Amino acid sequence: MLKCILKIIISIFLMQITLINCNAIEPDEILNNQKYELRAREISKNIRCMVCQNQSIDDSNSSIARDLRILIRNKIEEGSKDKEIYKFLTERYGDFILLKPPLKVNTIALWFLPFLFFIIGILIILNHNKKSNKFIKKN
Amino acid sequence: MKNQFFKLPIIIFFIILFTFFYLLVIDRNPSMVPSALLNKSIPNFDAKTLIENKKFSSSKEFGGQVVLVNFFATWCKPCRNEHAFIKRFSNDQNIKIIGINYKDSSGKAIEWLEKLGNPYSSVAIDKNGKIAIDWGVYGIPETFVINSKGKIKYRHVGAITSKVYKKISQLIEEIE
Repeated sequence: MLKCILKIIISIFLMQITLINCNAIEPDEILNNQKYELRAREISKNIRCMVCQNQSIDDSNSSIARDLRILIRNKIEEGSKDKEIYKFLTERYGDFILLKPPLKVNTIALWFLPFLFFIIGILIILNHNKKSNKFIKKN
Repeated sequence: MKNQFFKLPIIIFFIILFTFFYLLVIDRNPSMVPSALLNKSIPNFDAKTLIENKKFSSSKEFGGQVVLVNFFATWCKPCRNEHAFIKRFSNDQNIKIIGINYKDSSGKAIEWLEKLGNPYSSVAIDKNGKIAIDWGVYGIPETFVINSKGKIKYRHVGAITSKVYKKISQLIEEIE
């Protein structure tokens, strides 16, 4: 039984590795200049595929993802900076195209609420501990 | 004070519960992203027209009246489904409609329009999808409502249904 569970865990783990390493880039998209190609890959990993929505364009096989990958590579070859490419894309598709939402007034809650909940949680635990300690001392 | 402190998580829990319930109940499609170009001027582009094979310049086509822009392709099934509504916009409401034929075979597109009817005042060809990217398009079909000042007032992703038709018609009346 234990061996069987172990086998399942190992196969799931191996499956994850193959999934992590797969990407959708086709050979004809790859740039000859390695530096440029690395930059394009880095940007593509941060850009959301608007069709699949939970994948980056680096991982997605959709037509729009391929178009955007090619566009990013063309822009890099034309001499655009990373910031300019991100600006070009967000101007057309909004901040939603970025997999990591930028810190803005309307995203403050998204960034800081988890910390607030964490602090509230700690305060509740501390309070609870204090109460139980008092109870133990009393008895 | 202590009691109030312990009430806080319960209050937060119900606020979150209410928010999720509200988002579940209201009429919305979470995968539909609002256009980043809303209330902005249309992205200008030059292209070739599908039928006449003439130069299409967006700067000459917009302004002075409400225009619908419809991205379509013959390989897209929802485009065929919504075509009747696009024709209704043209026939019943006399709206100028510009079609953008996205990554398609020109021959097939001309045949398609001859067979199903051509509601477009002109059709621009977007062979490699560059115009679509400039317009922030990610799913074909997509329809944009442009006001008389050449600004994007509404974008619909997906096929136009009778419900969407009514919504767009109302919007056209409001901005006209």
